Amino acid sequence: MPDDADDEDLLVDVSGDDALLAALREAIKARDNVPARFVETGKSAYAWRNIDAELAQLTYDSDIDERMVAATRSETASIRALTFSSARLSMELEVTANSLLGQIIPPRTGTLEIHTTAGTRVTPVDEIGFFTVDPKPDGSFRLRCRTPDGADVMTGWINL
Amino acid sequence: MRDDPVVLALVARAIEGDQRAWDDIVERYAPLVYAICTRYRLGSHDIEDVGQTVWLLLVEHLGKLREPAALPGWLATTTARECLRVVRAASRSDLRSTGRDDSLQFVDDTAIDNEILMAERNASLRALFAELPARCQQLLSMLISDPPYSYARIHETLGIPIGSIGPQRARCLNRLRRSDAFVALDESQIAAKIGGGKADA
Repeated sequence: MPDDADDEDLLVDVSGDDALLAALREAIKARDNVPARFVETGKSAYAWRNIDAELAQLTYDSDIDERMVAATRSETASIRALTFSSARLSMELEVTANSLLGQIIPPRTGTLEIHTTAGTRVTPVDEIGFFTVDPKPDGSFRLRCRTPDGADVMTGWINL
Repeated sequence: MRDDPVVLALVARAIEGDQRAWDDIVERYAPLVYAICTRYRLGSHDIEDVGQTVWLLLVEHLGKLREPAALPGWLATTTARECLRVVRAASRSDLRSTGRDDSLQFVDDTAIDNEILMAERNASLRALFAELPARCQQLLSMLISDPPYSYARIHETLGIPIGSIGPQRARCLNRLRRSDAFVALDESQIAAKIGGGKADA
């Protein structure tokens, strides 16, 4: 279990000047410890507030496997695979050299939007749930999938 | 603390579409989200991913918060859940490759509750500090910087006679203590003490 040593002064009595000053120092330090980028990311999330899509969670990433087993396995990684899941549908993605191949589960037709900071592209999802994004996005992007049965699901930011 | 009017107002304004209110919410609670990520000992890349997910989830969830004042609790729980997801994904593959199970990287509820209390207290203190006159803010900033400025240097920088620094420090801190928000803060601390905020031994 992580050490909880710093919890002991959690409820310090701040009636004394030194204690109050120390509490202020902690408060300012807690803010300064947070990277500016972390805060900026949080602020920019607000731009998505009018999107009604359900957020799909990353439930599998072959890259996490790779990071962990790189030391014990000699064979190199083949294809990056990702899965995003939500209650109504999942998106399975495979990253190739130039493109992004995907399938929605359960398979059905629909449309896929690729949101990047530069704009949005749309590509069809065929009747067995397949789609291709070619070329693959070169920066951060989010995928949003809508199907005729009313599913509307969006991933978080993806970086390949 | 549970019905902090500042938080209620921020949430209401953010629901209405006020980006500034949203920014204030993020600034107020980013230290809480970040602190919980570090408790799970995530690397900087994973912390960034968890942060992105948590704020996107909040954007989605904002209008559905049953009790806007429960926001810090919601954020803490959501962050902990996302951290656990990352930790588990990593330990699953670790287990597969090494046969070793490091998945029992567990942060208990008391630790999370403590982070919430601490984050609220810190946010209130920062807000109080920001309301002080500029002169007090300058003086106190020098006194709490690490390492603190010497009285001689404070005298050089702010032009306060060395003999007055002590009394001015006391006046600034008293000013902070006199505000209503501080009284509320102090009471919530006492309530937390009585309410069995038992530190794990």
